[in-house]
Amino acid sequence: MTTHSRNKLISIFVVVWLAVFYYESTCYYYLQPHFKRVLPRLKFLFPPAGWIMFYNITDNFNYAEVYGVKNGVPQLIDPHQILQTRAIGYDNINRNALITVLSPGMSDFFCPYLKRKFPYFEKFLVTYVEYPQLTEQPFEKRQAVVYECNG
Amino acid sequence: MKNIWNILFLEERPSIGLSFFRIFVAMTVGLHVIPSFFHLDDNYLSTAFKTFNIDFFPIPFIDWVHKSPDALVIFFVWAFVITWFCFLIGLFAQVSCILMTGCCYYFYALNEFHIGTLSWDILLVTLFLMCVSPYHGDYFSVDALRRGDADAWRRPRPFFIQRLLQLQVASTYFFTGLYKITGEGNWITGNPIYYLMNYPVQGVTKNFILKEWMAVHPHFCYVTGLMIVATEISMPFLLFIPRTRRAAIVLGLCWHVLLVLTLDVPTIFLFLFPAQLMLFIHPQRITGWIEARRRINAVSPRPKIIYDGECGFCRSSIRLLQVMDLWGKLEYIPGPKGMSEMKLYSSDDKIYGGFFAFRKLAWMLPMLYPMLLIVYFPGSGIVGPLAYRWIARNRYLFPVRHICSAGSCHS
Repeated sequence: MTTHSRNKLISIFVVVWLAVFYYESTCYYYLQPHFKRVLPRLKFLFPPAGWIMFYNITDNFNYAEVYGVKNGVPQLIDPHQILQTRAIGYDNINRNALITVLSPGMSDFFCPYLKRKFPYFEKFLVTYVEYPQLTEQPFEKRQAVVYECNG
Repeated sequence: MKNIWNILFLEERPSIGLSFFRIFVAMTVGLHVIPSFFHLDDNYLSTAFKTFNIDFFPIPFIDWVHKSPDALVIFFVWAFVITWFCFLIGLFAQVSCILMTGCCYYFYALNEFHIGTLSWDILLVTLFLMCVSPYHGDYFSVDALRRGDADAWRRPRPFFIQRLLQLQVASTYFFTGLYKITGEGNWITGNPIYYLMNYPVQGVTKNFILKEWMAVHPHFCYVTGLMIVATEISMPFLLFIPRTRRAAIVLGLCWHVLLVLTLDVPTIFLFLFPAQLMLFIHPQRITGWIEARRRINAVSPRPKIIYDGECGFCRSSIRLLQVMDLWGKLEYIPGPKGMSEMKLYSSDDKIYGGFFAFRKLAWMLPMLYPMLLIVYFPGSGIVGPLAYRWIARNRYLFPVRHICSAGSCHS
């Protein structure tokens, strides 16, 4: 390949890449609100909502707690026993990975998983825990059962 | 305009920085993915708890991957491990990068629960760019040894991939800062750092010395937050302006160390971003520094290697050492035919022979550093010399690489 045609190919790649990169980076929060419609997106490559690291941190904190019930007595299960995969250099549980199990429809996948991991328990309670205002009322904590996994 | 375009993307510069970056990308991918293989039944097999990223993947693709039988999952585990290792050591660097990236997509589609984070998406964008170019295999790689090109570290290559990686990291900083103060970001209207410092133990904040103090000083937290946003938004400018570049790189490195010390953030923050910041160092600065060291070494008393100059296998092996000898630390002297072993005369007048010469070399040549684990493995002091002697005895029988088979090696 000659230098000229190589440079041509590189230039085309760079232009297309930059266009797609900046389009995808701004689409969700800037372009779509501006054009007031859902714009086409490229799958497989870019984060769907853009580079939104720690962009919105609120004064409340929510997480999931899972209880195993044996003889009618609920016992808190250590989340590190539920998700045993250890990430290197950080704790996935502290990244609130378990909160996903509270999403609608998750019980169909999560309950069989709990039953396989903890056959000792008769049933499970998957609960939602919320600190509604951490800075003003740090000790106020609400908790509710989101779904039950029966044996 | 054409000149600016040429300078930005079409100019050729040494790819040594990109080669070094490849090792960090491989380490980040490995540290991210491999731990999830230790609990296959929890993460990927039919018994696993799975979640799917339907915004990232088309649903038919997820359905298709989700139908994988367990045997196929295990096949992909091995495919990942093999291609990842090849990518790490730079063996068929581009092909292994493409295959490894394919495996990454497979596992991401199969279950995003453990590996899927925003930083994983950033890593995939980086991998995509690495797949486009073969230049990251130029040096610090087995490919460099296969080619036997002792000048690979300074050979000019199209710079566009390194430039796009620079733009990627600078833009990530910029948009991360911008999102914090526009759209749904709350770094001006709220006090996110103050909230983070008050998170319960289950939260993302680690326990560090200043945490409790910051948890009761909201004004300090707010100003710190604004400074972070200002730094993130100004990073592209600081990084691309030559006068502020060095300060920006140092600032970025400190920033990532602080992040890792204070928050539970994925490994990418420690391994990928800092390495990506180092891509802003001009490659000619790196090669200039290496050349200066080579010039100093060339006029200083250097350790000498004496080898069988009549043996093609020995000349071929010396050629590999020359490729690895980035600092020009060694002097290579062909010796008489029939030497029983290679000799290394160190600069402190000690003589090492055979396996122990090789062991000494492993300390001298950066590309041999991984071999330290093997040559100092318990028992290697017994097995190593035996293996060396067997190879030395049979050295005339080994096939010789073409670069050294015609009587002398090319320099």
